[in-house]
Amino acid sequence: MTETKDQAKLLVALQDLDHMIKEVQDAKTAAELKDMGFQMDNVGELKNARDKITAQIRPQLLNRYERVSGSYERTVVPVVNELCTGCFAKVPTSFRYEKHAVMTCESCGRILYFI
Amino acid sequence: MAAQGLASYFQEPLCIFDLTSPSKRDALVEMVDAICTQHRIKDRDIILEMLLNRESLGSTAIAQGVAFPHGRTLAVRDLSLVFARSPAGVDFDAMDKEPTHLFFLIIAPPQDKDNLYLQVLGQIVNLIKDDAVRERFLAAKDYAELRNVLEQVTA
Repeated sequence: MTETKDQAKLLVALQDLDHMIKEVQDAKTAAELKDMGFQMDNVGELKNARDKITAQIRPQLLNRYERVSGSYERTVVPVVNELCTGCFAKVPTSFRYEKHAVMTCESCGRILYFI
Repeated sequence: MAAQGLASYFQEPLCIFDLTSPSKRDALVEMVDAICTQHRIKDRDIILEMLLNRESLGSTAIAQGVAFPHGRTLAVRDLSLVFARSPAGVDFDAMDKEPTHLFFLIIAPPQDKDNLYLQVLGQIVNLIKDDAVRERFLAAKDYAELRNVLEQVTA
């Protein structure tokens, strides 16, 4: 696996984790899950996991992720039918085969993930 | 969500009646592999990491012998549900320290805006609270028996 693919996967894992932390901190969702009987006490574990992931991401990429996450709820978005699912702009087919960079949408700047 | 809709999330290739792994991680791998094979998902590790992170927050083995591993990940396109039975039981860090025999693993993409996964999760959790229903799920030995249980308990 190329380093680029690893970096893209790390960004997806980071976003998954950020969603989970947000969900735990969202009073309504957390109450709903606690009512079902789920324990969600170890938020510190999630923050430790986040630190471990961010330590593996190149600083430039991490900065890009943090910058885009300030503008959009979803920073990394899947490409479906050659469309960015953040803004639905067409993504060049060549992006899928790009081996040397983590690609971003030319229209909205979100980071693209090829499922 | 209509009650009868719940059964449609139980797809035969995603129902495991003889989960063999004795450990939490391996049991999750076995279930995630079923999803990746069925939906041709390439990034198994992302799903697994998300589920393990969720477990680190607090075990999802909340009911008597039942666990509900769950969460959202960009690695899946649609809500996926895995049903699994482990006759031998899995050490899933349950609150009562007892082995877990029944699993309902639910994964959804982050763009699931209607919070469908919480609705599905809540509905199954409610069903399982009933001792008789839980026993029926445990007794289902194949997909036909499981469908029969689902049809009756969601009718």
